[in-house]
Amino acid sequence: MAKLRHLAIACKDPDAMAEFYVKAFDFEIVRSNDGPLAYGHHLSDGTIDLAILRFKSDQIGKGMDYTGLHHFGVLVDDLDAAAKQVAASGGKHYMDQSEPERVGGFETKMYGPEGILFDIAEHPWTGSAALPAKVKEAAE
Amino acid sequence: MPKLRHIAIAAEDPEAMAEFYKKAFDFVEVGRPNGALADGVFLSDGTLNMAILKFKTDQLGKGMDFRGIHHFGVLVEDVDEFTRKLDSLGAEHYIDQGHGGNQAGYFEKKFYGPEHILFDIAEHGWAGAEPLPEPVKEAAE
Repeated sequence: MAKLRHLAIACKDPDAMAEFYVKAFDFEIVRSNDGPLAYGHHLSDGTIDLAILRFKSDQIGKGMDYTGLHHFGVLVDDLDAAAKQVAASGGKHYMDQSEPERVGGFETKMYGPEGILFDIAEHPWTGSAALPAKVKEAAE
Repeated sequence: MPKLRHIAIAAEDPEAMAEFYKKAFDFVEVGRPNGALADGVFLSDGTLNMAILKFKTDQLGKGMDFRGIHHFGVLVEDVDEFTRKLDSLGAEHYIDQGHGGNQAGYFEKKFYGPEHILFDIAEHGWAGAEPLPEPVKEAAE
């Protein structure tokens, strides 16, 4: 089964917000970056990647001033098969990662019902857990 | 370490949205919450609870028409301890809910963090969500 492995927050001050969640829940900062889509920090609870980001474009149609929960990400076994399954279920493709060799983040972004944005990826987000089947394979 | 175990989405049509995520990702339906705050569908990926809800109040201050990801939930060992910690860090307490009976599987306390981001904490877990890992010492015994 696919796994929820990523949750992204849109905020004004990613530095202060990341510090709050590190102190509050002992989440660890596993990556900080300033990319074409956003600036911010990725925190991990050992299983999920919590991205605290200041976005540079309006991906969800709520305006650049929007702050709040932004999108989530699902780790899948096979990106192409999952994208087809999502599209067959009524999802709409938004964009793909522009640097295909870059892993540890989103690989494809899609919209589900009511304009909810989510990522799918077949490589785990940095600091997040692999799919159970992959962990089993690696151990064998 | 506490664990993210809950994501809630504000939807106009929770039924249709839940059907989508079942088909898209094989998430499994684990409940039908029907409470004072929201109605909807609980899904699980085996680790997290994904709540697809039609809210009855404006918890975020974004209006009743808000559609999108609404809040998240963190499973902690001790709600009282984390309540004190969150207070000391400047989080704003919003509301509580009891632990047992028909409220089991829901949030226990809601807080606003920086920039008014809403999150829950709970020590009993959400329906379909994985419990906290056993402490290393206990697991080794």
